[in-house]
Amino acid sequence: MAGFSLRTNYCVWPAWVVLVLLLAGCGGGSDQPDPSLEGLRVYRHSTEGTPTSLDPVQAATKYSNLLVINTYDTLYSYRYLARPYELKPNLAASLPEISADGLTYTIRLRKGVRFIDDPAFPNAEGREVVAKDVVYSLQRHFDPATRPQGAWLWQGKIVGIDDWKEAGSDYSQPVEGLRALDSHTLQIKLVKPFPQLAYTLAQGYAAVVPREAVEKYGREFALQPVGSGPFRLESFDTARAVLVPNPDYRWAPVDIYAEGYDPDTQSFSGIEAIHGQLPPFVDRFELAFVQDTSARWNSFTKGNEIQIASLPVELADSVLQSKQPVVLQPEYAARYHVKSDIEAGFVYQSFNMDFPEFGYHPDPIQAERNHALRCAVVKSFDWEARNESFYFGLGAVFPGIIPPVVPEFDPELSRDSVTRDVAGARQLLIDNGWNADNLPELLYGSTGGVRPRQFFEQFRAWLVEIGYPKKKVKLKQFASFGDLNKQWRESRLPYIAVGWGLDYPDAENTLQLFYGPNAAPGSNSSNYNNPEYNALYEQAAVMQPSPERTRIYRRMNQILIDDCVSITGLSRTAIPIWHREVIVYPSSQIIGGYYWPYIALSDGAGGIRQAQTESP
Amino acid sequence: MELLQFSVRKLIAGVPLVIGVTLISFLLMVYFGPDKTFDLLGKNPTAEQIAEVREQLGYNKPFLVRYGEYVRELVTFNFGASESTGEPVTSLLARTIPVSVALALPGFILGNLLGVALGLLAAYYRGGLADKFIMGSAAIGMSISFLIVIIAFQIIFSSSFGLNLFPVRGWDVNSIGDYVSYVTVPTLATVFVALGYNTRFYRSVIVEEMSRDHVRTARAFGVPPAPLFYKLILKNALIPIITRIMFSIPVIIISGSLLLEQYFGIPGVGKATYDAIVTGDQPVLKAVVALTAILLVIVQLLTDILYRAVDPRVSLK
Amino acid sequence: MNAQPPASDTIAAPPERRESLWTKAAYKFRRDRVGVWSLAVVLVYMAIALGVVFGWWATSWAELEGGKWEPPSAEHWFGTNIIGQDIFDRAIYSTRTSFEVGLVVAILATALGAVLGALAGFFSGSWTDEIILWFMGVLDSIPFILFVAAIAYSLGDTPYAMHVAMISTFWITAGRLVRGEVIKLRGQEYVEAAHAIGVPELTIIFRHVLPNTSHILLVQATITFVAAIKSEVILSFLGIGVKDGMSWGLMIAESTQEVLAGFFNNFLAASVLLFGLVMAFNLFSDALQDALDPRTVAES
Repeated sequence: MAGFSLRTNYCVWPAWVVLVLLLAGCGGGSDQPDPSLEGLRVYRHSTEGTPTSLDPVQAATKYSNLLVINTYDTLYSYRYLARPYELKPNLAASLPEISADGLTYTIRLRKGVRFIDDPAFPNAEGREVVAKDVVYSLQRHFDPATRPQGAWLWQGKIVGIDDWKEAGSDYSQPVEGLRALDSHTLQIKLVKPFPQLAYTLAQGYAAVVPREAVEKYGREFALQPVGSGPFRLESFDTARAVLVPNPDYRWAPVDIYAEGYDPDTQSFSGIEAIHGQLPPFVDRFELAFVQDTSARWNSFTKGNEIQIASLPVELADSVLQSKQPVVLQPEYAARYHVKSDIEAGFVYQSFNMDFPEFGYHPDPIQAERNHALRCAVVKSFDWEARNESFYFGLGAVFPGIIPPVVPEFDPELSRDSVTRDVAGARQLLIDNGWNADNLPELLYGSTGGVRPRQFFEQFRAWLVEIGYPKKKVKLKQFASFGDLNKQWRESRLPYIAVGWGLDYPDAENTLQLFYGPNAAPGSNSSNYNNPEYNALYEQAAVMQPSPERTRIYRRMNQILIDDCVSITGLSRTAIPIWHREVIVYPSSQIIGGYYWPYIALSDGAGGIRQAQTESP
Repeated sequence: MELLQFSVRKLIAGVPLVIGVTLISFLLMVYFGPDKTFDLLGKNPTAEQIAEVREQLGYNKPFLVRYGEYVRELVTFNFGASESTGEPVTSLLARTIPVSVALALPGFILGNLLGVALGLLAAYYRGGLADKFIMGSAAIGMSISFLIVIIAFQIIFSSSFGLNLFPVRGWDVNSIGDYVSYVTVPTLATVFVALGYNTRFYRSVIVEEMSRDHVRTARAFGVPPAPLFYKLILKNALIPIITRIMFSIPVIIISGSLLLEQYFGIPGVGKATYDAIVTGDQPVLKAVVALTAILLVIVQLLTDILYRAVDPRVSLK
Repeated sequence: MNAQPPASDTIAAPPERRESLWTKAAYKFRRDRVGVWSLAVVLVYMAIALGVVFGWWATSWAELEGGKWEPPSAEHWFGTNIIGQDIFDRAIYSTRTSFEVGLVVAILATALGAVLGALAGFFSGSWTDEIILWFMGVLDSIPFILFVAAIAYSLGDTPYAMHVAMISTFWITAGRLVRGEVIKLRGQEYVEAAHAIGVPELTIIFRHVLPNTSHILLVQATITFVAAIKSEVILSFLGIGVKDGMSWGLMIAESTQEVLAGFFNNFLAASVLLFGLVMAFNLFSDALQDALDPRTVAES
């Protein structure tokens, strides 16, 4: 375009000015600390998930549960440092008194425990927590209006609770098996023995809420915990929560030995510094929810942001000097502490036995062929490679569904079912007349995202190696876990890849995953239904822990392995990593969330940082 | 008076748009959207509990009843509470929209100012080295994916592997200093990506105006360059510029920058909406969609009024 | 963040000089060095993609061929990923995915825009026009990513959910351009003549009017192509893009968890290939636009 141009510079100089000013204005930001936090002991925590609801009846996820058990009181909790996890009284004054037939539990509450001050109470002053509150809090799980998620723990177990719901969940009506004998005594009557009851009372689901607050806040109660726990919530959104210690909490000097301290494995953390000291040890507890692994690691390594994170798998080789035991490279060891934290739970994959292509079939010959097909897939699965790729090579691969973290685990069990055998798998397929043409299509359902896809691609490649046509192994990704879960609950997918987090450290919690009557829509997504297994489950479920019960548990485990229902399993190992100035022995498990009140900051000289006292 | 009449007419004319947007979005996001039932149930639900939750979520009602409820909520602007958290939708919007605006605004302003400036320079030196350099850079900038820019910038500016100047993520704003430190990296990424598009757009608008007959004529009659430029070129170029800017407003306010909010963990409305789509949180979706449609109608009205202010020859008809 | 293709600023050519427009355009294009080179690059990419389709290379993109995160070697040019798949194969295979997405979306969106735009333009002022315009306005008003996510989720597991979503938004720009052009063409003598001798309206529209907008459609299709492959990356990153197979977006998503550990192979392989294709296509599109612009004809 030759015809036109403006020869005088002064009509474009404003453009130059804008450019220069803007570029100059892009200079660095400031990292000024907030003056109002000056001198406060601030601890910055992080988790990889965001809690949705803080209402105890909806505390289904680890993240909701963490906030619930630290802002509310539960009757029982777990000892801070004891491994395996050990129950201890929390709001209850002692462990429950159980009648000889195992059906009646009497639980006495501590006296003088108060809810935090809140406008929901008269004069906005928190009142004392009484046994009626516990009754009310458990009843809420049987009131559909609260949208409860924990009812399955107690339904059919507490006398009269299901009838109470049937009759319209009227709180003015009593439940026979759930009563406040006096202001501080609770009585629970059971239909049949339920040895795990005390454990369920340590879950967030059983946290004690005041009726006044539930009624005052309605749906918003889910955002506004009014509890009697060690912390009170100051603010909460999808990115972070801020907690401050509850000054009226029954803080008492810490006895680390009573908490199960083991100097051999735990002294590195400097935890002895808190022994005999009176918490709270921090003035402000900031909790960031960071889903993105690399963003979380970035934030952690910056120094002035979050102080605890989980080591990303990708970095295991560059950050760790040794994996067993976990030891940091020197440059990291100078700044951080690390521990390995085996999961209270496991991941497994399972066939849906409702699908005649893989599971039960009316024709016994076909059923036998299906069994062979399932066993071939079990043999194709390379747990070692899965472990190496995605779990630092640190996960614990074990046969069956009794994971290492529970006392009933059998380290002697044959590892054949978790050992890869491509030749054996191919032979099994050939012997049973399976070939590329007649093998059924295997639809693998998962949520969206990178990791599930990598899991699938790895699995598909293994199946291809035993002769499965690549086209017959398909991925179906769902928008949300809810949508995927729906498919499982409605028994619409032939194959299930899932994880299970233990609600309590007792193998009953995993064995129920294959109990026939728990079939879809229940937790038995495999729809496994074996009369022998079911009978053993019913027998063991009412037994107190004993060698006999362990024997039955292990028998059930063996039945599952022999039936090739599941490809199982692996307990993941998380590597919590934290700044050295934080004194903590963290746990990433849902049942291990009771450690927050003990977190302290180091003064750099072997002691803990004390609160600044006001100078006169 | 003319203005008022015009506004009322325009707003009434916007009703079909609002109906269309809400109907289509309702159909896609709410009616066929993800099923929330199983998010709200425990690990071991019974058929009875499933039925209870479905009933509460209104999944069993026919489509028309549900859309009718939506229209009623739209008129009263009362959408209830989020199904996920129980937070009232209005308080959720009041909390997240300002964050999104604060996040997007600097990048938007800078991106457009720089775009105008560079576009002007390129047009001014048209065909010259500066033009080639600017437009070449713009072509490169337009060819790099936003996602790649975000990942790269976070590593370069915020991580201990790079300059480590800014927070990696989050949004904890109590002062101007906080604001600057959190907003800088997302702003840089936005500007980097938007600049190519903006520069090209503004250059073409200005070049277009420069080659108009009346401009050529004016120049032939010896009108000095500066008045020529500001009175004839820039002023006429304002119309497309206003259009572009005004129609970006609903996007900034409502969808925010989803990628930025997701990657930097910023609790804005884009992320809240996206989460609502993913989890099927109907009340939030309904509110966001309604707000988008209404904002759009208002923006169209304001745009028309602005046209008039810029160029009196445009009549408000 | 609105990823809709920007409107092409082409000014329509007078239809009676259509033949000379195309020959002149071809002449001009051949003299545009940047344009020719960029077309060459696009053709190389296309050859790569065709090779994948015919199974000449990158057939083992899904197999576990090596260990975890192996560095580049003679066997694995770009190394291997977390489960031991060959990154080079995957990046090459993704070229096909990109072309598939780009072509499907560009062709169908442009075609849809052409048909609806022509109908709206030809019957401008009528109810047909009003409804189509209303529909455009409505679809334009829903924020792009949210709209695509909603479609992707409501179509659930359909592998083409992403394509459908993009087509249903990208046709609008083409539609508006064609509508404007057809309104201009409608008044031309040859259209009125066709009317007068009783040629059916639909024949007039699709035989006589629409072909005269093909230069607009061509440029718009190239712009849509680029918009589609760029959107694919972001949607795949969000987990609502490519469902079956492999794509650059999926590789970049995979890499977000690796770059901090110093494994840049996925990130670099996907980003560089993506950048090359988008850049080449952008330049090609520009050159095409210049070549088809009658005003630059006058100047050269």
